[in-house]
Amino acid sequence: MPLLRKAALSLFVWIVVLLVSFPLIWMVITSVKPQTELFRIPPTWLPETVTFEHYWTLLSETPFLLYFRNSVILSTATTIFVVALATLGAYSLVRFRYRGRETLAMLVLFTYLLPSVVLIIPLYLMMVSLGLSNTLISLVLAYTTFALPYALWLMRSFMEGVPPDLEAAAMVDGASRMGAFRDIIFPQLLPGIISTALFTFILAWNEYLYALVLVNSDSSRPLTTGVMSMLISAFNIEWSLLMAASVMMSVPLIIIFAFLQSYLTSGFGGGAVKG
Amino acid sequence: MADIELRNVRKAFINFVALEDLNLRIEDGEFVALLGPSGCGKSTTLRMLAGLEFPTDGEIRIGGKVVNDVAPGKRDIAMVFQSYALYPHMTVAQNIAYPLKKRGVDKAERDRKVERAAALLHLEPLLSRKPKQLSGGQQQRVALGRALVREPEVFLLDEPLSNLDAKLRSYMRIELIELHRQLGKTMVYVTHDQLEAMTMAHRIAVMNGGKLQQFDTPDAIYNRPANLFVADFIGTPSMNLMEGSLSGSNFTVGGQSVTIDRSRLKPETTDGAAVLGVRPEDIMLGDGTIDAVVELVENTGHEKIVALAVKGCDRILARAPSGSAITVGEAVKIGFDQTKTHLFEKDGEGRRLNLDQDHNSLP
Ligand SMILES: Nc1ncnc2c1ncn2[C@@H]1O[C@H](COP(=O)(O)OP(=O)(O)OP(=O)(O)O)[C@@H](O)[C@H]1O
Ligand SMILES: [Mg+2]
Repeated sequence: MPLLRKAALSLFVWIVVLLVSFPLIWMVITSVKPQTELFRIPPTWLPETVTFEHYWTLLSETPFLLYFRNSVILSTATTIFVVALATLGAYSLVRFRYRGRETLAMLVLFTYLLPSVVLIIPLYLMMVSLGLSNTLISLVLAYTTFALPYALWLMRSFMEGVPPDLEAAAMVDGASRMGAFRDIIFPQLLPGIISTALFTFILAWNEYLYALVLVNSDSSRPLTTGVMSMLISAFNIEWSLLMAASVMMSVPLIIIFAFLQSYLTSGFGGGAVKG
Repeated sequence: MADIELRNVRKAFINFVALEDLNLRIEDGEFVALLGPSGCGKSTTLRMLAGLEFPTDGEIRIGGKVVNDVAPGKRDIAMVFQSYALYPHMTVAQNIAYPLKKRGVDKAERDRKVERAAALLHLEPLLSRKPKQLSGGQQQRVALGRALVREPEVFLLDEPLSNLDAKLRSYMRIELIELHRQLGKTMVYVTHDQLEAMTMAHRIAVMNGGKLQQFDTPDAIYNRPANLFVADFIGTPSMNLMEGSLSGSNFTVGGQSVTIDRSRLKPETTDGAAVLGVRPEDIMLGDGTIDAVVELVENTGHEKIVALAVKGCDRILARAPSGSAITVGEAVKIGFDQTKTHLFEKDGEGRRLNLDQDHNSLP
């Protein structure tokens, strides 16, 4: 009986996994099928001939690499910016007592109450008057505005988990406040920083709406809007290229996750202070 | 030289005054305990000495120098936190070496000093472990090691033993006394455990509600409590306090009178309402003038604690030898050891009315 239940459970889990991963698998398969095989009915499961021509076309004949570079710069810059601000902000919110501290923390969340479409136009106008329209910086700033609130609250809860005595001890041991932060607090916050960085990077990497509105020149378009405008038109969708582009867009995220996953889980549970 | 002086120190938090007008002088090399109930401001005092909090008013001097504005790292102090505050991502060796590293001691010297501290505290086999792989007692020793590796002039210890079990605690108490003897440095030790304070410290500063109540030797604190709070706080079971009225050499409580040695009182003492204090061991069972009824007998093995009902005051506790035959419900006469009674003001701060030189001044 327990064996049967276990088997049933496994079956169920596998069905769910397959359902979830099917589009991904199909995406990969489609990207290596020759164009001729694409719309065959009934569809072929495994491609009869495997081809990488779509990848090659993308890399050599389209601005894909430019978009890719833009996305990397954009996401990395946003991540660094947001993590730095959120970490220092959280440190301040947790460690210091000052007037309006809680109000400030709440106010930051306020942007979340508004749908992002409402914020786009003012942001766009702001960027124009700052002379930043059509630049990567404008996107970095825009992404920061909606990644920061969550990042700040995330870092704040991590920061609250770091006992203040640790820092006090470091200061008594001869460290400056910044030194104590670097030597002691930062290593404790690392799992939090990595989570926040992942969250921000993914958000920036996948963002579409702001990129569509704020940037309309190829030189600073990120992958999301770039690939869309390049491969999808009113009359035609380049399915093969789109799938190949999607695969290549997912690769960086998969790599990052693979690298940081162990960090994410192992970092927790410091045991700094007996309790 | 590192004597410590607090002059008129006041500490107010945003909506709370934690310390009021604290004056304290700690001699170089002295072992002083700060003792008091929870929330009385012990940690706050210690953190101000460490430079982790700043006094709202007043002056703090270490080794004669005003240190009000000196950063913690620049005062020649080390502190052991109640939570130990070991750096979780560093090994024991790195933890102990950290203060040296921060002061630019070179690697070879650092290793040598860490080794010495580890030897002193029997930490050698643990040097490469992380704090979370240590027991409470071991963590505590690492915290001590980190404090003494630098050989500072002043040690500040905030309830370092409070999280240990009873056996380890009494062991560490002896270790700490021994350590202090070896190092000869000034130590300020915060505790709310009177046994720790009484057994370890040269002098005890008893605090309550942000105010210093008495600062004296354990002996004086026990035998000459400065006020009702100290009388009540020190000693287990605590001193019996009986409200009554003084008239000449008579103290009347609940209609019964006892004779008081008026020459032991301060000359300015006036007749009227007062509080008589008698320690449980100074109550003589079956030898006196006061009527009492035995309510309860607790046998601890080496003695008996006898609870007595006396008209007009709270239950009175007395110590009796474990062999004494006392039965519950029995009526007894009790008396107080005349040379060891304490008299306090009933109102105000409950100040002691006895002359200070009375006890233990006998040859
Ligand atoms: N940062 C702060 N803000 C406001 N009040 C504080 C702050 N730190 C301490 N207090 C208050 O000051 C008082 C003294 O605190 P302190 O930590 O010195 O007590 P303590 O004597 O060490 O007590 P315990 O034995 O519980 O450790 C307490 O009432 C506490 O609530
Ligand atoms: Mg405390």
